[in-house]
Amino acid sequence: MPSSPSPLDGPADGLAAASALRAIADEMEDAEVERAMRAGWTWSQVAEALGVTRQAVHKKHLRRLLLAQIELRRRSGE
Amino acid sequence: MNSLFGDRTAILVSWGLGPNIARQFEIEAKRDGAKYIEAEHMLLALMADRGGAAATAMMESGLDHDRLHKALEDEHRRTLAFAGMSAPSKELVQATALESPLTFGTSAKSAIRRGLIATRVGRRGRRARIRETELLVGILQAELGTVPRALAIAGVDRTAVISRIMESE
Repeated sequence: MPSSPSPLDGPADGLAAASALRAIADEMEDAEVERAMRAGWTWSQVAEALGVTRQAVHKKHLRRLLLAQIELRRRSGE
Repeated sequence: MNSLFGDRTAILVSWGLGPNIARQFEIEAKRDGAKYIEAEHMLLALMADRGGAAATAMMESGLDHDRLHKALEDEHRRTLAFAGMSAPSKELVQATALESPLTFGTSAKSAIRRGLIATRVGRRGRRARIRETELLVGILQAELGTVPRALAIAGVDRTAVISRIMESE
C-alpha cells in the first residue's frame, strides 16, 4: 500500500459516512420491523414494504421478535 | 484464523486479558447500540480500566475514557454531517437487543491480530498471550477507520503512543 491517506477528509469522510449510514439503516430496519409486527402487520406486509422477500425478513428478524415476545400473526398458509 | 475468534470471553482471558476488560468490550458495544464489538469498543474498555497499563499510556497523551467517548461522538457527528445528516433520535432506532454474546467485528479482529503479532515480537514460546498494552498497540496501528478518525479529531498522535509503549516494553 502506498503511504497511508489521512483518516479524515477526502474519501475517508465519504467511506465513513457510507458505513455509518448502513449501520443506521440496519438499526432503523430492526426498530421498524419490530414496531410493525407489534402493530399486527404480517411478515408479507413487512417484506413488501421493505421490498424484500418474506423469507429474508423472517430469517433476519424472527429471533429478535421472539425475544421481544411479540405475538406474530400468521396468515393461512404462512 | 476463525478459531482464534471463537467469541468467548474465556479465549481473551486465556490470552492474558483480565475478565473484566473482556466483559467491558461487550458493555461498551451494547452501550453504543452496536451489533458487533469493534475496535472503538475495545479501546473504550481498555480506557475504562483506570490505572490499567493501556489507560495509563493513553492518559499520557491526554486522553481518558470520557474524552475518547466525546471524540467518538464528534466523529460520528462529523461523518453524518458529510452526508448532510444528523443522528436519528434514540427512540427512532430503538429495537430489542439480542441477548447472545456479541461477536467481534472486522476492526476488532484486525486489532487483535495485530496485537498478537506485537506479542510475538521479541518473545519466545508458542503460546500467544495478548496483554492490554499489546491490544492497545493493535488498535492504534489502524490507519483508517473510526478509531484513527476519533483520535485525529481529539488531537492524539497515535504513532507517538505506540512508540512510547514499544520503548517501555
